[in-house]
Amino acid sequence: MRIVTVSRQALLLPFLFLAAILALTSVTYAKERLTIGISQFPSTLHPAFDSMLAKSYTIALARRPITAYGPDWKPRCMLCTGLPDLANGTAAYETAENGDPGMAVTFELDPKAVWGDGVPVTIKDVILAWEIGKDPKSGIDSAELYRRIDRIDTDGDKRFTLHLNKRTCDFKNIAGLTLLPDHLERAIFQEGSEGYRRRTAYDTDPTNPGLWHGPYRVERVTAPREILLVRNDAWWGTPPHFDEILIKVVENTAALSANILSGDIDMISGELGLNIDQALSFEKRYADRFQILFKPGLIYEHLDVMQDNPILADARVRKALILGADREAISARLFEGRQPVAHSNVNPLDAVHSEETPRHSFDPETAAALLEEAGWHVGAGGIRQKDGQPLAIDLMTTAGNKTRELVQQVLQSQWREIGIQATIRNEPAQVFFGETVSKRKFDGLAMFAWISSPESIPRTTLHSDMIPSEENGWTGQNYTGYSSPKMDQVIDDLEVKCDPADQERLWTEMQSLYATDLPAIPLYFRANTHILPKQLRGLTPTGHQYPSTLWVEDWRWEE
Amino acid sequence: MLRFVLGRIAESLIVLLAMSFLVYALIGLMPGDPIDLMLSANPEMTSEDAARLKALYGLDRPILERYWNWLNAALQGDFGYSRLYQKPVLDLIPERLGATTLLLGVSLAFTLAIAVPLGVYAAARPHSTVDYGINLFCFAGISVPPFWLALVAIILVAIPFQAIPAGGMGEPDAGLWERARHMILPVATLTLASVGSFTRFMRAAMLEEMRRDHIRTARAKGAGPGRVLFVHALRNALTPMATVLALSIGSLFSGALITETMFSWSGMGRTIYEATMGNDYNLALVGLLAATAFTLAGNILADIAYAVLDPRVSYRSGGAD
Amino acid sequence: MNALPPSSRDLVKPADTPRRRVWRRFLRHRLAVASGILLAIMASLCLAAPLFETVLGVSAFKTDLFARFAPTDSQFLLGADEAGRDVMTRLLHGGRISLAVGLAASVIAAVIGTFIGLVAGYRGGWIDRVLMRLTDGVIALPLLPLLIVLTAIDPAKLGLPESIAYSEQATLYRITIIVALVGWTTVARLVRAETLSLRSRDFVRAAVSQGAMPSHVMRRHILPNCASVIVVATTLSIGNIILLESVLSFLGLGIQPPVPSWGNMLTNAQELVWSEPWLAIWPGLAIFITVMAFNFLGDGLQEALDPRADRSTN
Repeated sequence: MRIVTVSRQALLLPFLFLAAILALTSVTYAKERLTIGISQFPSTLHPAFDSMLAKSYTIALARRPITAYGPDWKPRCMLCTGLPDLANGTAAYETAENGDPGMAVTFELDPKAVWGDGVPVTIKDVILAWEIGKDPKSGIDSAELYRRIDRIDTDGDKRFTLHLNKRTCDFKNIAGLTLLPDHLERAIFQEGSEGYRRRTAYDTDPTNPGLWHGPYRVERVTAPREILLVRNDAWWGTPPHFDEILIKVVENTAALSANILSGDIDMISGELGLNIDQALSFEKRYADRFQILFKPGLIYEHLDVMQDNPILADARVRKALILGADREAISARLFEGRQPVAHSNVNPLDAVHSEETPRHSFDPETAAALLEEAGWHVGAGGIRQKDGQPLAIDLMTTAGNKTRELVQQVLQSQWREIGIQATIRNEPAQVFFGETVSKRKFDGLAMFAWISSPESIPRTTLHSDMIPSEENGWTGQNYTGYSSPKMDQVIDDLEVKCDPADQERLWTEMQSLYATDLPAIPLYFRANTHILPKQLRGLTPTGHQYPSTLWVEDWRWEE
Repeated sequence: MLRFVLGRIAESLIVLLAMSFLVYALIGLMPGDPIDLMLSANPEMTSEDAARLKALYGLDRPILERYWNWLNAALQGDFGYSRLYQKPVLDLIPERLGATTLLLGVSLAFTLAIAVPLGVYAAARPHSTVDYGINLFCFAGISVPPFWLALVAIILVAIPFQAIPAGGMGEPDAGLWERARHMILPVATLTLASVGSFTRFMRAAMLEEMRRDHIRTARAKGAGPGRVLFVHALRNALTPMATVLALSIGSLFSGALITETMFSWSGMGRTIYEATMGNDYNLALVGLLAATAFTLAGNILADIAYAVLDPRVSYRSGGAD
Repeated sequence: MNALPPSSRDLVKPADTPRRRVWRRFLRHRLAVASGILLAIMASLCLAAPLFETVLGVSAFKTDLFARFAPTDSQFLLGADEAGRDVMTRLLHGGRISLAVGLAASVIAAVIGTFIGLVAGYRGGWIDRVLMRLTDGVIALPLLPLLIVLTAIDPAKLGLPESIAYSEQATLYRITIIVALVGWTTVARLVRAETLSLRSRDFVRAAVSQGAMPSHVMRRHILPNCASVIVVATTLSIGNIILLESVLSFLGLGIQPPVPSWGNMLTNAQELVWSEPWLAIWPGLAIFITVMAFNFLGDGLQEALDPRADRSTN
């Protein structure tokens, strides 16, 4: 019988261990600390490398762009004293060095703005950002804005004028120009631009206070789990409420929502957190314990329609697809109305949205009639046929995205009713975006989302110059191959005809062209779902690419 | 014997070299190189940007040339930079490897502490009710989908008992106690998932031993059942256990992807997964090759243990596992 | 379960054949018998899924937004899922897929493994060493990038008909093949070990000395004696593959919707666990019970087929 006692003890050991821990641990959470859960770790903290949501969300706590779109979806100054304006001369048309129409815009940096080590933020920082940005060897992902700058004139320490070689209407926003601290980064950059990316203090010494100029500064980076930010004593604006903010990464979103229930995190970021299904499921059970905010935004879910496919090249088939999809029911039933139906690529919350855009409400009869007209007649098994070919269309999206998979299956069922066979073929995001979509290898419909800023002109997605091909190195995002001289003209004009009346007319025309030509089938606008503690006040979800953390000093805790 | 061992090592080095090319090619063949992914994420990138960055990272050259360059650099100890973490790969690996070894080592210790006595006990009374009970427990542990087990553990344990964290590894400068607290759930789920096969193996090895002649002789000579079990059978049965342990060395270093993901434990499993999914070529390569090397080393150790410790043991008894 | 019949009884029966002995030993393992019956019932229920759909008037595939999360009633025996599809028949269809993948992949793996193990064990020498190092390599082969690379390969370019290559079942075939291609190592090692020991046995030596061709010896004398090892390992691997499929689904690399599998149903349900926990309980339970049943079945088969198991009850 000795064996019994041995094995029992062995069995008991872990339980004793557990019990001891339960009894002895007393956890005290500092109230001054707010722990935010997100689902991805930023690959770098350098503001100009690797644009990704996790990074922009985190560093918005510790640095400020010169301008940004506010929660009201209007451009505003974050680090400047006023937006340039054609009326008062801070913006002016001129001729660029190469003879093209150009323009000059003038900004003045906030006189109180200082880096975390007390060094004032000056035009030197602007110039360094430009020098690094335009250097082809520095490895910045998007150098477009920097290439547009011919030269920078300065006036004192804070005032500068950008001379741009292209005239655009969105000149008020220069968020893409990311200030870099001249007193820290210049020496590193001058060692050679080629290896700058690896030597930058943002990655080698991210806790240096001199790199940051927001309400918080980075105190500790524990890749790939946590980033601790503490109050920046040099911050000149409204002091933020919390002493510390801990960003904690939990990749699995089911585990993420369990973490908030177990008290390991205080809130889940809306920018990078739960998807709509999870948030709705969570809300049903825990609405009384947390504030749950849904903010529909500029995340436009749609089906890219491959125009090279002979079936889909027929506008009647495209129209039948949109009429045969009950998008109102999808929005109402699957998303409980939290994610509104999209009628074009422009969100109704956007100032340039037009009410005149044609709408395609669910109408299976008309859809069927259109298909008949196009020569598709119901054949065996209820699937329409033409010349012996079935009306079969591939319907692809990213594997593992539950919401998309769900919508996809609903669409499949609905289209089947009108005799269209949609074949679902999903691929991992890497394959889907890295190959199938970006190299135009999909044959039918591809479901994904565009994320943009307000009033962004859809040049890269709709202009015929932007169709990716072998020749242009697969750049551009007009994956469908949509080519319309009218649309090209509207887009070209939108960029340069800045008069408000012209703008309104052009935006209206663009949306109506979109809804008529249907280069893509609009589905819905995705909502960000913020799960917040009841006591947290002052967080305003933005719904666009500028994260809510840019206004962290407004966050308050009310017992 | 020495010749056998050296021969095995030499052969495994050849396998490793072949694997390094295979893994390199696999990762290189994965669609969507980092620049392609950047292109689809950032609408403002132009074709000049893409061409510039591809040249900068050497992605425009053929795969054989890239492999050759990589191999040369690697043999000189330069494994390149991680794209996801902006650090030399070799600076990243030790920490992740440490985290994984800690997690899996502790859970292996618990597993053995439970599996050996349970296996011995079950073997002492084969086909008894207790044996069936142990069997049931073993099979239950290995039959649960691991991510589901982890989620259930979080819901049933971490949410009601807030002292037990639902994930994470604690503050980096935290003491032993803080670390231990964060290890409870991952270690418990890993142990539950692996204790079954070890117990089954132990039981099979014990049964095999007890059929042997010297045990029968000892019994015939009137040795007590406890003495037979411990002195004779257990000692010999631990030998095949050593083989199985050696075979599991590989997994000790390649990590436990699911557990690490569910409990936000930054070990090798998750690192390799993230690097693979994020097209972080250098990191994925080194991680995968390290895992391959350890697996091969484990196989050699198992062969040695098998050949040296007990030539009589056949694979049959362990076949089930 | 204490009093087991003494095995000597087996010997006094004159009409006792080895097959009967195996059968009797198997029947003694009650949990294995129960598992076998359970699996048989489960498999036939899964095969009858379309019948259930007709009788109950539900569909496992057609979505109905108004029946989303419908509760259990006389029509939806286990309620409806997030797309308004019947959970019960979906589980049965999912079972078909999960069982088919498990069965097909483990059988293919067993065939490959047996062949490699036989040749390596019988031929020995450098062939054995090359094959065993190949086995080592495959064991160490990383599954993850392999899966991703293979999803990107266009199967139509490999000569597969488009109707298969671009069908919704394509992931099913792909996963079955990949799992089989990396899963043969266990069987290969077991068969090799068995062959090594059989090769030195008298009946094999006798056959060889009489000038039998190696292929004949392998087929006629060694293979039948390896059968028990192969059967046991294959049975056990079916369960493991069902589990593996669920893990692949969790990673987003498993069987893709709309084809249901227990793995993707469970992964989907994980997101809704706060409000509809039962959506996750059913597929979880199905996987758990099935995998456990295969383990018990394998265990019972092992005891029944292992001639030494008899002595252990003495």
